Amino acid sequence: MAITIATAMPTSFKVELLKGLHNFTAGSTRFKMALFTAIASGSGTYGAATTNYSQMGADELATATGYTRPGQLLTSVTPVADGTTAILDFTNETWGSSTFTTCGGLIYDTGDSDSACAVLSFGGDQTVSSGDFQIQFPAAAAATAIIRIA
Amino acid sequence: MLSTAGGMEVGVVKVGTMSGRGFTPEEIAEQALDQIISIGNNSHPVIQAQAEAFRTEIGGVLLAYLKQAVASHNTTLTNRFLDAGHPELVKLLEV
Repeated sequence: MAITIATAMPTSFKVELLKGLHNFTAGSTRFKMALFTAIASGSGTYGAATTNYSQMGADELATATGYTRPGQLLTSVTPVADGTTAILDFTNETWGSSTFTTCGGLIYDTGDSDSACAVLSFGGDQTVSSGDFQIQFPAAAAATAIIRIA
Repeated sequence: MLSTAGGMEVGVVKVGTMSGRGFTPEEIAEQALDQIISIGNNSHPVIQAQAEAFRTEIGGVLLAYLKQAVASHNTTLTNRFLDAGHPELVKLLEV
């Protein structure tokens, strides 16, 4: 068994946006990122069909050196337009003094019953040993931003 | 003519991992620059050159201030160690 993960915007998230269930305005303290275990340590499939943080279950990294379930709060930047594309950005997130291996992350909304907002694959296992583990979000631009609506 | 092009997409994150240490001011400055300035490959060469020059200039300023922040924080830590009666720990802060 192994985790199968693909970077994707959950289909449920698209529907929820149209229902006005997510508010990414700066200052909101509701969006978190949880990390998955190493590929070989889990068994689920994650991608566009992922709907909720609760689906991670045992595939979430266990609380250990540097990581505490259910993940860390993200600092969102108020969405803006870049040309005709609406874009969203978060401040880079760091797990300090960490020792673990992870293959991806899930951004979810604690203000909407932990519904999934984005599934992020790290392209394979990423290991940190007694150091900082950091998620670096892409530049907030129409072609690169972490969440884009064109 | 009507155009219906559009879509919703998720961007690609970078993962930074350090072993046995945290990030240096140089590494954090580079991350900040990636957030501040994005230079498209299809931009006009003159615009690209200007953007690159601006990126270099901003990078230098960021790095200088980040180093000042680290030095200043070390001063704070030094005083905390001394106040707590552990002057030997101050040596750990010396690079």
